[in-house]
Amino acid sequence: MNRRDFLELAGLGLACLPFLPGTAGAELLQSPVTVNRLRPPGAVPEEIFPAKCIRCGRCVEVCPYRSIIMLDIRAGIHAGTPLVEAEKIPCYLCMKCVDVCPTGSLQRIRQEETRMGLAVIDRFSCAAWIGTTLCRTCYDKCPYPEKAIRLDRLRPVIDQSACTGCGLCTHACPVTTKGGKAVNIEPIYARAKVTG
Amino acid sequence: MKTEANDPAVEPVPDPAREQGRRRLRRWRLFTLTGAFLLIAVNPFLNFYFHWNFVQGWYQSLGIGKLWFVSPLEGLESLLIAKTPYGPSIVGMVIPVVIALLLGRVFCSWLCPISFLLELVDRVRGRLARSSTLVNKLVVAKKVLWFTLIAELLMSLVLGTPLFVFLSPPGLVGREIMMAVFFQKLAIEGVLIVAILLLELLTRRFFCRTFCPLGGLLAFLGRNRKLRVRLTPENCSTCGKCARHCPMVLDPAKGESDSAYCWNCGECVDACRHEALRFRWQ
Repeated sequence: MNRRDFLELAGLGLACLPFLPGTAGAELLQSPVTVNRLRPPGAVPEEIFPAKCIRCGRCVEVCPYRSIIMLDIRAGIHAGTPLVEAEKIPCYLCMKCVDVCPTGSLQRIRQEETRMGLAVIDRFSCAAWIGTTLCRTCYDKCPYPEKAIRLDRLRPVIDQSACTGCGLCTHACPVTTKGGKAVNIEPIYARAKVTG
Repeated sequence: MKTEANDPAVEPVPDPAREQGRRRLRRWRLFTLTGAFLLIAVNPFLNFYFHWNFVQGWYQSLGIGKLWFVSPLEGLESLLIAKTPYGPSIVGMVIPVVIALLLGRVFCSWLCPISFLLELVDRVRGRLARSSTLVNKLVVAKKVLWFTLIAELLMSLVLGTPLFVFLSPPGLVGREIMMAVFFQKLAIEGVLIVAILLLELLTRRFFCRTFCPLGGLLAFLGRNRKLRVRLTPENCSTCGKCARHCPMVLDPAKGESDSAYCWNCGECVDACRHEALRFRWQ
């Protein structure tokens, strides 16, 4: 094979990339951030996160709780970006990852102003809400009790003006449902738009 | 110019003092390559088992205490695509860029972990084939390096994600070691490293020479570098040893070590028996 053939073949291969079967093309671009799968604290919106992050892994290495995992190529263009799986190990908001991020993908922010997501209680499966037990695990575990989680007639209620989305409640929640736990973190702030 | 046949029988008896001086650069280079590799190989263990966070990261961004390095290409892509300047990443790029401006592509030949692995492959192959040089079977025009750099930047801008950052082999080495230590698994894209190592059996430094965008950027920065391999034509016997040893398929005897493609590894300086090639600062 001479050089010309090689380059032609390589060019042809590249040109065929958009015609991958099915939705493979779209999946390559799709954000891995979903319920209980969050970016570390101080993350910029998903729209520019994969662009800013240079996958240096420093946040993963400094995290003392091993909360941050690193994605591989199955996450498409998000390969190598950090992710917190709140159900397995939540974020304890120590902010070490933010301190070492070299690109500003994780921006300095005060603990109580962090918005990794928002805890949402599923009132149809929460033990306290359906009345099976007097469970208040989430209330006990919340780093901002009486602010982020209050008890309303012994049932937990989230206050979105104080919830940081750290996932401690999700991690501690004893009730497992199909979609996760009885309290889940919705990554609503990650979907914010940067450009207008 | 001396006229000396290439026949080993006619070669002069090597002067022991000079013989000792030879291969000096290569030893130093192996030393720095090994050190640079060990830094990123040992560091995940320190972080994971001892929570010793003084050093973090690898050659995409390395933090030693408060001294941060950011790889120029990754940092540039991140700035271009996010379209917002960010102080720490710009400051982190200063030292690597200054090194590239003064010394050229030395990161590639003296520090890059891929270079370290390729050097090991070289050695193993040398042992197996009992010859220190290899006839390159796959040579692409050197200009392809610039094409790679431009195409990579454009593709990244189009896709809106810095391509080289998650497919960069130097970064992948660090990532794989870290994933192995932290999560006891490897990332699939590590096959890229294997592919590059296998290519090394066919041709030396094929990826580095033509398809590494980071190398392209560093070569571009270093085209007016201060440190160069200079030829003293009076000493040259045109034996062609330097060209056979050059991993970048350059011929220093024809002055090609002055081009942007030279990465200042010093293989030719070591290979030359007549001291016709020397590093010069100018």
